[in-house]
Amino acid sequence: MASLLIQNGTVVDPKNNLNKVCDVLIVDGVIKKVAAGITDTADKTIDATGLTVTPGLIDLQVHFREPGREDRETILTGSRAALKGGVTTAVAMPNTTPEADNQAVIEFILERAKEVGLINILPTGATTKGQDGSTLSEMKELKNSGAVAVTDDGFDVQNPALLRRAMEYAKTHDMLVMSHCETDDLTDGGVMHEGWVSTQLGLPGTPEISEDLAVEKNILLAQKTGARLHLLHNSTKGAVEAIRRAKATGAKNLTAEVSVQHFALTDEECLTYNTDAKMYPPLRSQDHLDAIIAAIKDGTIDALTTDHAPHIEPDKLKAFVDAAMGSVGLETSFAVAYTYLVKPGHVSLSEVLALMTYKPAQIVRFDRGHLTPGAVADLTLFDLEKKWTVDPMTLESKGKNCVFKNKQLTGKAQTVIVGGEVKMRDGEIL
Amino acid sequence: MVLNMKVSHEETLQKIRNERDVSFFDLYSVDQVTTDDLSLLFDLARGFREVKTAKLALCKGNTQINCFFEASTRTQSSFDLSAKHLSMDTTNVGGGSATKKGESFIDTVETLDAYNVKTIVIRSSEAGVAEVAARHVRASVVNAGDGWHEHPTQGLLDVLTMLDHFDTTDLKGRTILIVGDIVHSRVFGSLVRLLKKLKANVRIAAPATLLPSDVERFGVEVFYDVEEALGGVDVVYTLRVQEERGAKGFIPTLREYSKTFGISEKRLNLAQPEAILMHPGPVIRDIDVHSALVSRHPRSQILRQVENGMAIRKALLWVLCERFDGKQKEFNLL
Repeated sequence: MASLLIQNGTVVDPKNNLNKVCDVLIVDGVIKKVAAGITDTADKTIDATGLTVTPGLIDLQVHFREPGREDRETILTGSRAALKGGVTTAVAMPNTTPEADNQAVIEFILERAKEVGLINILPTGATTKGQDGSTLSEMKELKNSGAVAVTDDGFDVQNPALLRRAMEYAKTHDMLVMSHCETDDLTDGGVMHEGWVSTQLGLPGTPEISEDLAVEKNILLAQKTGARLHLLHNSTKGAVEAIRRAKATGAKNLTAEVSVQHFALTDEECLTYNTDAKMYPPLRSQDHLDAIIAAIKDGTIDALTTDHAPHIEPDKLKAFVDAAMGSVGLETSFAVAYTYLVKPGHVSLSEVLALMTYKPAQIVRFDRGHLTPGAVADLTLFDLEKKWTVDPMTLESKGKNCVFKNKQLTGKAQTVIVGGEVKMRDGEIL
Repeated sequence: MVLNMKVSHEETLQKIRNERDVSFFDLYSVDQVTTDDLSLLFDLARGFREVKTAKLALCKGNTQINCFFEASTRTQSSFDLSAKHLSMDTTNVGGGSATKKGESFIDTVETLDAYNVKTIVIRSSEAGVAEVAARHVRASVVNAGDGWHEHPTQGLLDVLTMLDHFDTTDLKGRTILIVGDIVHSRVFGSLVRLLKKLKANVRIAAPATLLPSDVERFGVEVFYDVEEALGGVDVVYTLRVQEERGAKGFIPTLREYSKTFGISEKRLNLAQPEAILMHPGPVIRDIDVHSALVSRHPRSQILRQVENGMAIRKALLWVLCERFDGKQKEFNLL
């Protein structure tokens, strides 16, 4: 029996409504006891005095690029980045090369994740073959091989008839559909949020209606078909209003996430043609940020994610219109949420952690994100006092394209435990 | 009087310059230009205009590369001749070989910079290329038009043309109407910023499809009826409507555009009696502007704009090549 005792940390476990200084005893990779003054002897003890002990974070949207683009990221480097951010479970998007539209790729990812053995990686499969929006992928096979959802992620299924069929088919096999909501004909070459900043920069803008319309379409089709739908990285007023309205009128099986950059940073990050700030959905104007924060506060939003998107330098060292979209985020997501949501008093630490632990876990039906006795022991110890400045060159991720470059953040993962094993200690990956 | 006859053009221009410097080292946006910078550039431009094509030794020993990733007729020849009149050596590179081989524009300009050139003039179809390039090179970068963003020397020459016509130092109390494809226009981008800096009232007239988001935040008044917009204005500035915009559904046909927003003599007469007509070129005759108004009409300043373009570019190149304050461009290799 291998045992580990974490002593004197402030344990914040939103699912069990716990927020107090106590000890956590882990035996054989499972939470045994959470209580003050545990006297059991353990093989190892960690003094967590001054630290905050939470369930390991769960990120519903990352791009690990393997197989195919190992120059951008690998399952190893992506896992290391996750540990640095206190993330113990990552849901991998299917836009690898080749796409994860078949069981071979899903099995490969799971096999590599096991070999690397640092965090839990849950792969998703493509909704359509080659993510090209024309033919349904073999969802049952994908599910059998271990995919937790289907999504065409960066490519929203444009054809509403096909999206309807995809949802009906996914429902048949009780598969979750994740939708990136974008109307290609309205984006029409847009490279940033359409508004005053895009006008000043002379850059083609993506109108918010491109997202709003796709969110409405996805919600309506999901309600008609009865499919389980999760809406990825919502960023507009219109999107969160549609979700709030749908939930208020009894929509079932509808969940929605926000990527942390979309409540932290505005489109003004694009000034000076900073290509690290180019992403989809684009960073929006302050009125959208306010709406997103309001939706987080009132419970419209179920999860906070990163949309971790590593790129090689040449793909960002281009004219803004030609540069690749996306930013890395695994190593900064908790700090961003803590700095931009908790510190200004928008929501409590416990509420933020709920959106980064058990709530996303429930969406993909993965029994993690809580410290209930008997649960698998994935935990993170955060130092909430730690102030740091983001230097992309020090990130574990191969992608140095970080939109939070040079930003001052508060809060950092100090120790990470996955399945009862210490994977990171005092910031060092073991 | 006899003595004055012997004063060289260079001495005359030095006297106008009076050891003044501009506040910037690169020019990628007119937002960088202060009112003092404007006075200096306009004073010098008027001096250069006087001496026409005289060969001047003011920038001798300096080299300029005209780096036109996007094709150009008037801007490229204007920058090239301006540099040559100032005794600079120049060469032209296009978007050809290196770009087609997949080289990043940043590597291209860093390579050109290694020739120890003084100025790199950049035209690109993408916004921001000159601004980003400026951060990567020691040379002074001049934006000769970047996508839909800005075309600073065009804005400067336009404003010089207006100020000289009205014989004033600012445009307070004057109303300028800009008509046409606003959203895709880098000329508009520079012009509107300068006009507001010089306190002008600015109106714009175009179908809503050709207006960028939040355009009124530049401090302009938007009109959908060009005849209403023309009432009492001092300057009518027309922009080219490009054929391909029609195909993309911004306007139904050039025919309907010409009927609704084209500037005819009858419409021009709705403006102030002294009002002038301007256009950055190339003009599409009978679409943007009725043919009779283009070059020979007394109100047309279109060729005057071209002449002022050379003058303002010479002024700019000189202040970039030679500084009196001893300051150097701050440059840190990234």
